[in-house]
Amino acid sequence: MSTKTCKLVPFILLLAFPAILRAQELKLPPGVEKLASKAKETVEVNMDGPMLHWASKFLSAEDPEERKAAKLVANLKGIYVRSYEFSDEGAYSAADVEVVRAQFRSPEWSRVVGVRSERDGDNVDVFFKLENEKIAGIVIISAEAKELTFVNIIGPLEVDQLADLGGEFGIPKLKTKPQSSKPMAKADKGEQK
Amino acid sequence: MTETNKNPNLLEDALRNAVRREDAPEGFVLKVLARAEQQNSAANDAQRTSWLSLFSQPALRWSAVAAVTIAMAIGTIYYRNLQRQRAEGEAAKQQLMLALRIAGSKLQLAKEKVNEINTSRPEPQPQNSSPRSRS
Repeated sequence: MSTKTCKLVPFILLLAFPAILRAQELKLPPGVEKLASKAKETVEVNMDGPMLHWASKFLSAEDPEERKAAKLVANLKGIYVRSYEFSDEGAYSAADVEVVRAQFRSPEWSRVVGVRSERDGDNVDVFFKLENEKIAGIVIISAEAKELTFVNIIGPLEVDQLADLGGEFGIPKLKTKPQSSKPMAKADKGEQK
Repeated sequence: MTETNKNPNLLEDALRNAVRREDAPEGFVLKVLARAEQQNSAANDAQRTSWLSLFSQPALRWSAVAAVTIAMAIGTIYYRNLQRQRAEGEAAKQQLMLALRIAGSKLQLAKEKVNEINTSRPEPQPQNSSPRSRS
């Protein structure tokens, strides 16, 4: 390595430091980040603690949805979302998703939901980070035929708040319908990895 | 007894002499007008010393204009910053709500898939726990 390159290294590290910090919890491989160029629609949300705190100041206390959101994010340390919607199927590889999943196969993370559907190709994984028997973080990896979504929520989250997250914000609560067709999906619930 | 008491005519003459009409001395009117003018100018001087009269001085007048201009400029900048911060805050709020909606929808999808699988699984057969009767 030349002397000039050696001198540049600290500057490069200094510039890359915020990005390293930001990606501390959910590290997306370069292959996934490049999917934005192929995607029809891309959503990228990076909100750290101060940003969340600031944004929550603008939530209206009169709006019930925003009031719940303010309560939900009050103690959170960060919300990071990447969502790619594609025009055609097969825009991303299963290996790309597997690299991300592998990051959460550690003792501190528990995979509470893992759905592999051969029928419609919808694969969903939900990982919880537990600290002192309380949820300290959630990662959702949803790999659908034309959509790939990564959600990382960092911070303490109560179970009732989690229910709010699943059933509010314009999304109706799930009502179970009896299915007559033969199941083609596998589900792991409560699996500890 | 005095001489005037003795002679009433002398008293009358003395009175007449005392109250007789006399013309004003020369320059009396001018003196009165000068005095009045002097009093008016003294009143004007007193008015000039009030706080409003400070602006009559050019340096103070320009300082006041400059102060008002600076205050207006600071107020405008502050207001624009406030507007910009509000717009950025609204955008951050929209981002936050979008992130929560996406997270909520994906959790809902996971729940939906799990419920779909649970409902489509065949019901477990109840085990026959009754003791067999010996033949």
